[in-house]
Amino acid sequence: METESNLSVDTNKKRPALTWRGRSDRLAGRLFFIFSVIPVGLVLLIVVMLVIKSWPLLKTHSLWLLLSGQTWKPEEGFFGFWPFIAGTFWVTAAALGLAVPPSLLTAIYLSEYSGRTLRALMKPLLDLLAAIPSVIYGVWGTLAIVPIIQNNLIPFIRQYVGNIPLISSQNSTGFGILAGGIVLAIMIMPFIIAVLYEILDNVPRGLKEASLGVGATRLQTVRWAVLPKVLPGLVAGIVFGASRALGETMAVLMVVGNVAQTPHSLLDAAYPLPALIANNYGEMMSIPLYDSALMTSALILLILILIFNITSALILRRVLGRKWV
Amino acid sequence: MKHRRTRSQLVEAVFKVLMLASFAFVAGSLALILWTIISKGLPALSWAMLTQVPEGGYYLGKGGGILNAILGSLYMAGGGTILALIVGLPIALYLETYLERSAWGAYVRLTLDVLWGIPSIVYGAFGFIFMLAIGMRASMLGGIITLALLELPIMTRAMDEVIRLMPEELEQAALALGSTRLEVAMRVVTRQMLPGLVTAVLLAFGRGIGDAASVLFTAGYTDRLPTSLLRPAASLPLAVYFQLSMPYPEVQKRAYAAALILTLIVLAVSLGSRWVSAKLRKNVVK
Amino acid sequence: MARKSWRCGMAVVLFALLLGACGSSTPLSQPGALKGTVTVSGAFALYPMMTRWAEEFQKIYPDVQFDISGGGAGKGMTDALSGAADIGMVSRSIKPEEENQGAFFVGCVKDAVFPVVNAKNPVIDEIMAKGITQDTLRKIFITGEIKTWGEVTGRPEVRDEIHLYTRSDAAGAAEVWAQFLGGKGQADLQGIGVNADPGLLDAVVKDALGIGYNNLGYAFDLATGNLPAGTIVVPIDANKDGRANGDEIISTLAQATEAVASGKYPAPPARVLNLVTKGRPAGLVQTFIIWILTDGQQYVSEAGFVQLPPETLSQALDKVK
Repeated sequence: METESNLSVDTNKKRPALTWRGRSDRLAGRLFFIFSVIPVGLVLLIVVMLVIKSWPLLKTHSLWLLLSGQTWKPEEGFFGFWPFIAGTFWVTAAALGLAVPPSLLTAIYLSEYSGRTLRALMKPLLDLLAAIPSVIYGVWGTLAIVPIIQNNLIPFIRQYVGNIPLISSQNSTGFGILAGGIVLAIMIMPFIIAVLYEILDNVPRGLKEASLGVGATRLQTVRWAVLPKVLPGLVAGIVFGASRALGETMAVLMVVGNVAQTPHSLLDAAYPLPALIANNYGEMMSIPLYDSALMTSALILLILILIFNITSALILRRVLGRKWV
Repeated sequence: MKHRRTRSQLVEAVFKVLMLASFAFVAGSLALILWTIISKGLPALSWAMLTQVPEGGYYLGKGGGILNAILGSLYMAGGGTILALIVGLPIALYLETYLERSAWGAYVRLTLDVLWGIPSIVYGAFGFIFMLAIGMRASMLGGIITLALLELPIMTRAMDEVIRLMPEELEQAALALGSTRLEVAMRVVTRQMLPGLVTAVLLAFGRGIGDAASVLFTAGYTDRLPTSLLRPAASLPLAVYFQLSMPYPEVQKRAYAAALILTLIVLAVSLGSRWVSAKLRKNVVK
Repeated sequence: MARKSWRCGMAVVLFALLLGACGSSTPLSQPGALKGTVTVSGAFALYPMMTRWAEEFQKIYPDVQFDISGGGAGKGMTDALSGAADIGMVSRSIKPEEENQGAFFVGCVKDAVFPVVNAKNPVIDEIMAKGITQDTLRKIFITGEIKTWGEVTGRPEVRDEIHLYTRSDAAGAAEVWAQFLGGKGQADLQGIGVNADPGLLDAVVKDALGIGYNNLGYAFDLATGNLPAGTIVVPIDANKDGRANGDEIISTLAQATEAVASGKYPAPPARVLNLVTKGRPAGLVQTFIIWILTDGQQYVSEAGFVQLPPETLSQALDKVK
């Protein structure tokens, strides 16, 4: 066979790897790789900064005592972080529990059932709600949520429900974990819905049509055909929302009560770690040990976030086997 | 046969009710918040608010407006979003098109998730300490960089999730036709997933423009219009925060007006970009 | 193609931003006139006052510009000490560690913290008649021994709980209130932590059983000079005679200002608010501070503060010059 050709096709005789396209592909690959180092580098940098700033406290106090200690009186040298760690858990769990089911249902509704106008309306609305400053959410929480809990819910529970472990509390004000959880849930719902919606919306139509074609209801289609395919995305969406919840500060601190005690009930007041940092950072920089304590709490928070993310990643990997990246 | 169909229809009906209830709950509570902002903010909103800077007695209830904060927020959030986009979009594309199943991709995703969860006050503290170390005072540039850091994980991760749902057939078809991975990324993925990418950018922008803690320490505040990258700049969330803390009810009401303006800005940006992406939707293969 | 125009568009915007941002305006100056920029940051309590002072100062020296931001007393201190701001507004007394780091301070106004209860409190009549002593307040806020309103007024049959509120954000008001009650600092105060002064007032307004504390400017409606609807300032029974005497009852802004200025109101919780610089101020900053201590004092009362007494002012002036 002749290697020369008479056809007027691009007879670029160089090897593909040496063409401009090939080179630009590899160059871009390297450039993009450098970009992808940025997040990793950033995390390391933040960890380093936090450790350096926390060092004065860490080297003079035992880590175990810091993490498990229950008293917080910095002016007298007591740095017990446990109430704040517990508070963070309670508020985040409450927020997720309140936010995830409605968000999932809403996202499914939007992608499967609702009409076009509603969908077109929801998208800008969700962007909007993600943009409302957290201060406003906090103020709204004090205006709307706290009074309802204080004037309606608590008397109701005390009168009719009595002493149930997770619900009864000494706290008679509306400020507490429940208020924080509700406000936080409302804040993270737009995020979760937006991400879940995008994910559900992008499932190939063919898949859904095949399922409907064999007689499944739309719900069954969602449940059996769509959800398994997008499960990683869904979990990611939930982790997304959880991360937002963990990191939110302003709105929560306005309604959560800010009492440094270990909570035992949804109606107790609590003091999550971000609130501790936000309330006091800027105030205590002139007192080195207090400043370190705040940076230590940031470090603890960071480690908690890290653990949370690694755990959910591992769970995903277990559930999906080798299909997960 | 008939029995089974009825039962699954029943289940579907129940779920429909639940879904509608959830939707109503979400839409309802969010409508309530918007209602609070509008009803408290609209009375205090005036042409002066939009076009003037605060006069000396502004915080005592006298005249002026928050143009300084409006422009400051637009510049800083806009700049931060653009910066985050420049860094984040390549990362998201890279994760999908170059790193199909690599461990490095997993690490990057993990770090992005972690970064996403860090409270904005920590970014503010980080920026502040960094700026102190290099001798930079609170400035608009500091605000832009801190916001970019804040927005980067949101944008990238959201884009990543959206891009991952790219129909594989499209990608494989492109590769089979001889495209390089770069070309797949630049020409195929971005066009196909443009609406989703726009969503991601808007989510990040909204987060950035609404955040107070990160700019408090890095951008400072001033009553003057932002004219230079190296001088402090006002921002709307801080305007809200400061005004809410003042003892005068008129000033507190202006805080709501500032929040309303912020909300309207985001609405405008959101509608605008969605309109643009709808125009470009003809490139999407469904 | 669409991608390209996106990129182009963004590049243009970025370029425009940079271009616009790099140009800075040079103020028109007369030879020998004061010019420059003064950066101030710190306590929210002083924030409106400072912007007012800046406005008046600028009328005299038009070439001087100000960048004023809030962020809390501690931020003011940090910014002053680290050089990020020229003046820090600090609404509390200066700590020795801060002085060791170079903090130079002068008082600029006076204000005070007042205990506040709801007008619908079950024992409001007794409170108005007898007042509450400092020791009782200590048992309410710091040790928590007193938990019901009945115990406060000596009527054990009243079992309504006290709903205690305090500040969640690090606040000068909280520090000074704690010090008045024998504590060391804000962390010694018990109660639900609410954000910011207006927030604390609001919590008490909404809670008939609530008690909190507020700065002068928040405890009174600055426009009318009266108490905000629904609240009562608790008379502090300073002479411990079991009755609220004339001076101890404070129900208008004028009375409060009088009590603080004359020294009849205990100090703490009356306090001097400070301006902090790193080292002795010089040049423009010094001129500004001197102006605040002299001509600036006339604007003080419209912002809800109390002028410093003349002796304090002259001491401060000597310190600064």
